Amino acid sequence: MSAEKTIGPRRKRALDAINHRTPDGAPVDFGGSATTGMHVSCVAKLRDHYGLEKRPVKVCEPFQMLGLIEDDLKEAIGVDVAPLMGRGTFFGFDNRDWKPWSFNGLDVLVPEGFRTTVEPEKGGLLIYPKGDLAARPSGHMPKDGFFFDAIIRQKPIDLDNLDPEDNVEQYQPLTEAQLDDIEEDARALESGDYAVFASLVNTNLGDIAWAPGCDLIEPKGVRDVAEWYMLTASRPDVVHKIFDRQVEVGIDNLARIHQRLGDDAIDVIFLCGTDFGTQTSSFCSVRTFDSLWKPHYAEVCGWIHKHTTWKTFKHSCGASERFFESMIDAGVDIVNPVQCSAKGMDPRMLKEKYKGRLVFWGGGVDTQRTLPFGTPTEVRAEVLERCEIFSQGGGFVFNAIHNVQANTPVENMVAMFEAVKEFNGRR
Amino acid sequence: VVEPVGAWAAAEPAFATGVGRRSGSVDDNQPLSALHIVEAVQRTTKYDVPPREGTMALSQALFDAIVDGKAQLAQSLVEEELKTGTEPLALVSETMIPAMDEVGKLFQEEEYFVPELLLSARAMKAAMTPLRPLLAAKGAKPAGVVVAGAVKGDLHDIGKNLVTSMLEGAGFQVIDLGADVAPEAFVAAIREHRPQIVCLSALLTVTMESMRTTIAAIKAADLRREVKILVGGAPLNERYATEIGADGYGATASDAVALARRHVGLSN
Repeated sequence: MSAEKTIGPRRKRALDAINHRTPDGAPVDFGGSATTGMHVSCVAKLRDHYGLEKRPVKVCEPFQMLGLIEDDLKEAIGVDVAPLMGRGTFFGFDNRDWKPWSFNGLDVLVPEGFRTTVEPEKGGLLIYPKGDLAARPSGHMPKDGFFFDAIIRQKPIDLDNLDPEDNVEQYQPLTEAQLDDIEEDARALESGDYAVFASLVNTNLGDIAWAPGCDLIEPKGVRDVAEWYMLTASRPDVVHKIFDRQVEVGIDNLARIHQRLGDDAIDVIFLCGTDFGTQTSSFCSVRTFDSLWKPHYAEVCGWIHKHTTWKTFKHSCGASERFFESMIDAGVDIVNPVQCSAKGMDPRMLKEKYKGRLVFWGGGVDTQRTLPFGTPTEVRAEVLERCEIFSQGGGFVFNAIHNVQANTPVENMVAMFEAVKEFNGRR
Repeated sequence: VVEPVGAWAAAEPAFATGVGRRSGSVDDNQPLSALHIVEAVQRTTKYDVPPREGTMALSQALFDAIVDGKAQLAQSLVEEELKTGTEPLALVSETMIPAMDEVGKLFQEEEYFVPELLLSARAMKAAMTPLRPLLAAKGAKPAGVVVAGAVKGDLHDIGKNLVTSMLEGAGFQVIDLGADVAPEAFVAAIREHRPQIVCLSALLTVTMESMRTTIAAIKAADLRREVKILVGGAPLNERYATEIGADGYGATASDAVALARRHVGLSN
């Protein structure tokens, strides 16, 4: 890909923000990644609200049941970022060959590989790795639920004879066909005037979402969530080997993507989704983070910064502030979702402490309480306050704190978008 | 946050630390429960028989094995100790419960985190394996009986599992109903097991309301006065707990244990 991508007002707004320059307004992301999206039912409600063409929404991320935010909706709500995600999904089938599906009565589109059966007795849904109905199901949605959870398919573990290779089956070199798809999608974004947010390589180091191997027919290694957590404390030697291999494959994939697309096709790259924070504390100490994760992040970020102009994006829910200095040291440019409701995540403190050093991508409104359960007035007030705090000097991309959840009232979502527009209009 | 898993999921829990795991306790589906410990022993750590010489040295090793999360070692130390005639209740009350107390303390002090807590809970469970039948044979009573579960629609149970493990480590008998537990299943379990405490867990904003319906079902079954109801989970807070009529809210597993102890009249 040789043509330089245009820099229009939207992309410029986002580029200014992520380069810590004051933009003409707070740039907005919804749908740029699997941690900054919206539940498909919310996307459908918004399309109705804005009177957009009536058509079923595509479920672009089947695990969390996120809906594709198409250009007409982006325009209506004021989005400045577009996703570049490749075709693979969490369950190992590709996002292609869309077919109609009824989701709790809502007409949506799902990819051909999205194949489900009804769970005996309780009536929930079971979904299959790579769409293979002959395999053991790898995901489960309770009856009347809104998204899937992993089914743990853990074989007996011999802790003394673990083979790290068993846990890297998910992290493979991209095929030429996959690179072709990525290039095709990147080309389609050239004329869009969006900042491009790429989630293309799996450098999610120890992300508990990926641990069960929902995309694998027969996952080997440590796949139980609790077992994985324990492994990080009891066998860091094995975890290092898994991360080493994952990083090696990840950098090779990054290099091949960069060779195909060059710098200009991507502005931000999703690095890792591992959550380090909990509501009130963290999943490990800073000391453990520095010894077990940081060197691997530093290797990936080091490669990215040496060879590209891309900014690195690290997702970590909860009370993650204690890790921010280490993340900065490792080369992380952007943090998300900035869960201000967690302990030690006061927005003013965060901005003051990390201004010019970290981009806050998120933090715009609380999705645990205010957005789903508050009033439109409360949503507006919180959004305006967060924009005021985080926008100073750039370094802020507006997004809710994580994906907008099912059952969020449409009037609250609209109040959120309108509040951002109100804030931007004042500037 | 609020929804499914990890990176892509929710900032996490409190009670419900968790992510995509199906029901079952920390290690498997066997409830740790049946920690048959005499309530009086829990409080006063009295021996039925005096400790034999050398007990303290081995108990220290067992204490360390549990605190360090070494399951096989913990179990073999208990087996060794039993062979030499050590009183089972003494092992539990003098060494194992204090070890889990220490784990809870380290967790509160942020020396320990979820992985260490899980390892210690597993070690405690392993250590209990040879003791359980002996304690049951003695007809020992637990500190209290707890019915626990993640509420209807919610499959996330790591946080609930942490709470149940910590409760069992503190001498409670826990009836773990697993995840996605319907209100009527809680009602049936209360009727069957006559617990003093019911623990409800939810990770999701979309399943929090199942707590309210569960409490309503317990009321409708005329069982509300018989139990104290404790709730926990990432999207919850004290205010919500009060609003839905719960008796207590625990932000962490340690909080849950402290509340449970208080409700059965034990000091923390």
